[in-house]
Amino acid sequence: MIGLQILNGLVYGSLLMIVASGLVLIYGLRRVVNFAHGSLFMLGAYIAYAAAQQFGFWVGLVAAVSVLAAVGFCLDRFGFRLLQDRDPLTVMLVTFGLLLVFEDVVQSVWGKQSYSLAAPESLAGTVELFGSPFPVYRLVIVAAGLAVAAALVGWLRHSRVGLFIRGASTDPVTTAMQGVNTDRLSGGVVAVGAALAGLAGVVSGPFLSLSPTMGSDILIDSFVVVVIGGLGSFAGAFVAAMILGQVQALGAVYLPDLAALLPFALMTAVLVWRPSGLSGSRT
Amino acid sequence: MSATLTAPALDGAQVKRASRLPRLLSLTSVAVAVGLAVSMLVESNTVMSLLTQAVIYAVFALGLGFLLKQNGMVSFGHALFFGLSGYLVGVGASLTGSVGTVVVLTIAGIGFFAFALALVIVRVPGIAFGMLTLAIGQSFYVLVSKSRGVTGGADGMSIEFPPRVFGLEIGAFQDPASMFLISWLALVALVLALSLLLGTRFGPLTEAIRENEERVRFIGFRTLLPRAVVFAISAMVTAVGGALSALYTGFVSPESLHWSVSGTVLIMVVLGGSRTLWGPAVGAVVYYLFRDYVGEHTTHWMGIFGVSLIAVIVLWPAGIAGGVMHAVERIKRGSGRHA
Amino acid sequence: MTMTYALEAKGLSVRYGGVTANDGVSMRIAPGEIRGLIGPNGAGKSTFIDALSGRRATAAGSVHLAGRDITALGVVERRLLGLSRSFQRTSIFPGMRIGAQMELAASKIPDADADEVMRELGLDRFADRHANEIGYGDQRRLDIALALVGRPSVLLLDEPMAGLSIEESMKLARHLRELARHWGVSVLLVEHDMEVVFGISDSITVLETGKLLAEGAPAEIRAHPKVREAYLGSAA
Ligand SMILES: Nc1ncnc2c1ncn2[C@@H]1O[C@H](COP(=O)(O)OP(=O)(O)O)[C@@H](O)[C@H]1O
Ligand SMILES: [Mg+2]
Repeated sequence: MIGLQILNGLVYGSLLMIVASGLVLIYGLRRVVNFAHGSLFMLGAYIAYAAAQQFGFWVGLVAAVSVLAAVGFCLDRFGFRLLQDRDPLTVMLVTFGLLLVFEDVVQSVWGKQSYSLAAPESLAGTVELFGSPFPVYRLVIVAAGLAVAAALVGWLRHSRVGLFIRGASTDPVTTAMQGVNTDRLSGGVVAVGAALAGLAGVVSGPFLSLSPTMGSDILIDSFVVVVIGGLGSFAGAFVAAMILGQVQALGAVYLPDLAALLPFALMTAVLVWRPSGLSGSRT
Repeated sequence: MSATLTAPALDGAQVKRASRLPRLLSLTSVAVAVGLAVSMLVESNTVMSLLTQAVIYAVFALGLGFLLKQNGMVSFGHALFFGLSGYLVGVGASLTGSVGTVVVLTIAGIGFFAFALALVIVRVPGIAFGMLTLAIGQSFYVLVSKSRGVTGGADGMSIEFPPRVFGLEIGAFQDPASMFLISWLALVALVLALSLLLGTRFGPLTEAIRENEERVRFIGFRTLLPRAVVFAISAMVTAVGGALSALYTGFVSPESLHWSVSGTVLIMVVLGGSRTLWGPAVGAVVYYLFRDYVGEHTTHWMGIFGVSLIAVIVLWPAGIAGGVMHAVERIKRGSGRHA
Repeated sequence: MTMTYALEAKGLSVRYGGVTANDGVSMRIAPGEIRGLIGPNGAGKSTFIDALSGRRATAAGSVHLAGRDITALGVVERRLLGLSRSFQRTSIFPGMRIGAQMELAASKIPDADADEVMRELGLDRFADRHANEIGYGDQRRLDIALALVGRPSVLLLDEPMAGLSIEESMKLARHLRELARHWGVSVLLVEHDMEVVFGISDSITVLETGKLLAEGAPAEIRAHPKVREAYLGSAA
């Protein structure tokens, strides 16, 4: 029983990790906290759902990820880039406005009811784990999370972008002094960030269900992850996502009445201990 | 006019302090008179109830705007204090007949809660604050909507008020015309109280903290406490709005704690402009009138508000109040030259 | 024998990750003394001021103000004890009126006179203007005025003349001399304008890559072979 819960926590943690790493990427490069990130996640899920009706899951996945990458690119090109001299608060409010627009779009097209996206047939079975059947698809989510983490680590270790983003999250001033041209990189980076949100949305489809509130639910959990991990830190976000995944999964079973407050309690505890999150310094 | 002409001869600060109180009091009387006039002149019950709701949310917006103005921080979770206040008033009213005491205790309690919370969260770097408040507000929303026992869960909770509250018949709080006036007076009193507070050293101190917190410490002030106090005051003002709403509707639902409520009020604040105390309140009224108008023609008001929010932020960052102040300044300068 | 120094640093070290920006720097400043602190860019001058004023944690060493060990104290306590500073990157309150921010700075310190300081620095005519409406040179002087209000015993100035015209620099230099003489304020002056530093300092300390290179009267420093080689060679 507890083994299964831990596994479920791992599954949700992996999803959170994919979403949160997109947030961290965008923050790392643009210093923007993207409130529209949850809506991008939702948009990804709905686009995949629509495409999957006609052409199956895999086409849906590719379609969603490509559309979201394009959305991300436009967001940077026609949004963040034009606003880069504005106060971060202003940009944050703009992303909040976008959230409202995206939610309206999704509700207008698909209405308020919930949908479910079927897992691809090849992954639809179950395996026997801890004496009960466990959907293979959920294990695939964990694998996807690991793959994204590995790809990001590889990319950030071995590229200029990575150097910049890792530098920016620990010391924005000196990185800015090194004179990296953010504009040239940012379109691509924000596109990747948005595509990751979309990917997570698609992947979550068969696990959670599609509803107009899915965006804000995941946004809130991934904010908790990013704040606990320390704004701009990938390692912090990975760790925090796994912890929060467990807290949600175990809390739902063992403390159902208080489960909703657990992320908040966890976050408060971490912030009292370290105001800038796990990756930050102690006070 | 004559005061401004003689001003340069006197010590500027002295003149400002001396002329502040009479000016505030005369503005307050004007505001009270406007409220009375509106409550007497508007006959349509629909318009009146729209205005009453707008004024209650104006109180909420005043609280949220105060935080932005004096602390430079955006909260996406203030609905927590609004909704929680409604629930506390509701639960309190079911336990005791003296609702006046319940309301006062509720507001004070929320003040303490917010203060304690602020000691933890205002130390977080500015931009993470918005994420944090969103997450905190939403965890309480989920908690309230899932806990069936006291709060009635997702269905909300009807409040049984005793016949008299604050010495008035309960009907006075639930009839739009009289409730409009009550809420309006509460709003005016709160604006006055906050203006007086900002006239003390607390005003420049918190303004300086918003502008450049590090430098404030280098001129010898600790900054954590003032920031936590701003947050607590902001939460208390919001709680007044929540209590008014509970009295008016006799009902609270988890929806009042939902992040979208915080977001909506944030739109009011930005629309009205947060550089003055009264800007957000104006924003609330304009929002309601606009929504009433747009709501008749479309169901896409969320998208429309998203677009308008972006437009206002990008094109008109100081909001309505900023525009008005700018115009007033220009008129003043213009007439000063003629004199 | 035992003289109480206005400010004394003993073996201060500051590290940024792997970089040691201050490496065991010691310094004693007498009451009313103007001490010049020079060194090439990146020598660790700003870091030293940050360490003295409590903005940066030190890895080793101690700071003493009028004989009292203040190493464990925070920024606020140090300022209230009379250790004050200005900033290399102008640090003021852009959206506030100048009179209001000066009054705020004065309000925490008994008998502080904001108006007097504003007059001294030629800011009195801007009292009702917002700080972001005045010129760069005036903003630089406002930064100093914020530090000066309440007459601290020690004033740490990080390149106060950068961006000022020659005339303005000379005026400020005269004013610093006046402060030291009349109010007994000790000044630690980081400045790139060698004419100013050599002109008004009682003594000069030279830093290079975080270490103390030399210390002495202006004439000694001017003649010091290592200093000439490392620093003055190009500048003087
Ligand atoms: N915030 C920082 N993070 C990392 N290194 C820094 C930081 N500030 C300064 N340094 C480094 O410390 C050294 C000393 O810098 P600084 O004290 O600013 O020198 P100066 O004021 O003499 O020009 C330099 O090598 C600089 O790159
Ligand atoms: Mg420097």
